[in-house]
Amino acid sequence: MLRVCAMTDLVPGEGLRIDTVVPPIAVFLTEEGTVHAIDDTCTHQDASLAAGWVEDCRVECPLHASTFSLLTGDVDAQPAKKPVRVHAAEVRDGEVWVRLSTAAPNLPPGVTFA
Amino acid sequence: MSDVVVVGAGLAGFHTAAALRRLGHQGGLTVLGAEEHAPYDRPPLSKAFLGGSLTAADLALDDPDAPLDVVWERGVRVVGLQAGAAGAPHRVLLADGTDRRAEHVVVATGADAVRLGDHMPGAHVLRTIEDAERLRAERLAGARVVVVGDGFVALEAASTVVELGAASVVVAGPEERPLERRYGPELAASLLALHARRGVVCRGGARAVAVTSGADGRAAGVMLADGTHLDADVVVVGIGARPATAWLAGSAVVRDATGHVDCDARGATSVPGVWAVGDCARWNDEVRGPMRCAGHWQDALDHAATVAAALVGAPAPAVTEPYCWSEQHGVMVQVAGHLAGGERATVLDGSVDGADLLLRYDRDGEEVAVLGMNRPREVTRWRRSRRPRPVPTPLVAAESGPTRSLEDA
Ligand SMILES: Cc1cc2nc3c(=O)[nH]c(=O)nc-3n(C[C@H](O)[C@H](O)[C@H](O)COP(=O)(O)OP(=O)(O)OC[C@H]3O[C@@H](n4cnc5c(N)ncnc54)[C@H](O)[C@@H]3O)c2cc1C
Ligand code: FES
Repeated sequence: MLRVCAMTDLVPGEGLRIDTVVPPIAVFLTEEGTVHAIDDTCTHQDASLAAGWVEDCRVECPLHASTFSLLTGDVDAQPAKKPVRVHAAEVRDGEVWVRLSTAAPNLPPGVTFA
Repeated sequence: MSDVVVVGAGLAGFHTAAALRRLGHQGGLTVLGAEEHAPYDRPPLSKAFLGGSLTAADLALDDPDAPLDVVWERGVRVVGLQAGAAGAPHRVLLADGTDRRAEHVVVATGADAVRLGDHMPGAHVLRTIEDAERLRAERLAGARVVVVGDGFVALEAASTVVELGAASVVVAGPEERPLERRYGPELAASLLALHARRGVVCRGGARAVAVTSGADGRAAGVMLADGTHLDADVVVVGIGARPATAWLAGSAVVRDATGHVDCDARGATSVPGVWAVGDCARWNDEVRGPMRCAGHWQDALDHAATVAAALVGAPAPAVTEPYCWSEQHGVMVQVAGHLAGGERATVLDGSVDGADLLLRYDRDGEEVAVLGMNRPREVTRWRRSRRPRPVPTPLVAAESGPTRSLEDA
């Protein structure tokens, strides 16, 4: 597992973009206190889901409002068509650890991370 | 179950069909479109598609893994509408002399790009995949480019062509500073500075009268009203779009002076069973302001969801705040809320030179809109903080008799 941030870096109800991994991931602390990690880039176009709206364990893309489950990565409705990957997240001693998914990411067309 | 024919296979037409199926419409569903393409998304045409990082297939709206159960008729032009008498199907007339009949017709023919007089090779507009491909096929590296217009599409095109290596890019627009009238001096100053940093010259107060032609028959530049000639190898005209509704002439469907189909707050037109969505429609909406005129991506989706709900007799979706975005030089501009003109802008955060402004707009002491430059978090927060408001009672429909729902038909 990979240490990605401290719990104190997270704000309840918000996401934090971690770009030290490729492609970047987003770590969320829900209002209910749970921590989740998914791919940060929306599968529709180049938007950072970390900046999205978190409610009922889903994040709404800040650009065109498709929502993704923080638990399964599934997408609710267009314009995004594909799910995001979910990464297993764990909190140990106030630190957030993530096991990156080995599945292929669903990056939006035209978006690459060097 | 009665049948629905959607005229126009763009964003609004596609999403109307998608919403109808999602809401359980079991009847026939045919979408007629003049373009040869399956429905596609236009915003990238001035951005990533023009820039070359997307293919036409990337723009497709339908999901190849879960295609809509719809009869698509591509490459067919609709030339007229004959309204059926009470309860009888309407007739949608095609250019080939045939017709399609349905109890419900959804008008979704969008808009056509406005040209500046005659366009010769080297002069471009941006509305379709073919338009963007033609512009992309120009030798833009090293070219002198003049962009006519100072709206979002013009500014996006300028930003993309400079990225593609144009030697010079001049934006010739009527406003002193781009978008100042609509969004205020702060955004205008910030955009002006952003474009200047990337080498785009915004020439304000420029009233373009014609694209000029050179000896080779190609565009040679742009003539301004004051007699100035701006030399160019490539001209991009981005001066807006006109509703593509001429085909409704002679039908009983009422249009306004600009050609938009007049609708009530649920998208019903003056003819029961005929609805209009997207860029071709003007919804009279008490909540968002009278005579609200669509023209943005989100409007097409909102219209589609509302009309589909009315057609199947489902509760109308909540009215949300208008929303649009633009991307220029990598800066995401997002606007949420209703701007009618004359609002006062306040800088909440960021700076003109930082291209990171967060603006709030007030009208009569009430906060009505926000604008963010690279502020997705704040704009999203604002959108979500505005509670959905109740849908107003129909206006047009009330005056013109009952509207049809699929149940009545
Ligand atoms: C270059 C560009 C960039 C844009 N960028 C943004 C952006 O960044 N943000 C944003 O919010 N909005 C943006 N927009 C606006 C957005 O794309 C439109 O609001 C949206 O496409 C409207 O959808 P529509 O279905 O109403 O119309 P359209 O997409 O125009 O579709 C109408 C369809 O109807 C067809 N049609 C017309 N007449 C007939 C006929 N007689 N018979 C059969 N078919 C017919 C047309 O061929 C077309 O396919 C942009 C638009 C353009 C052109
Ligand atoms: S970029 Fe996320 S929905 Fe479009």
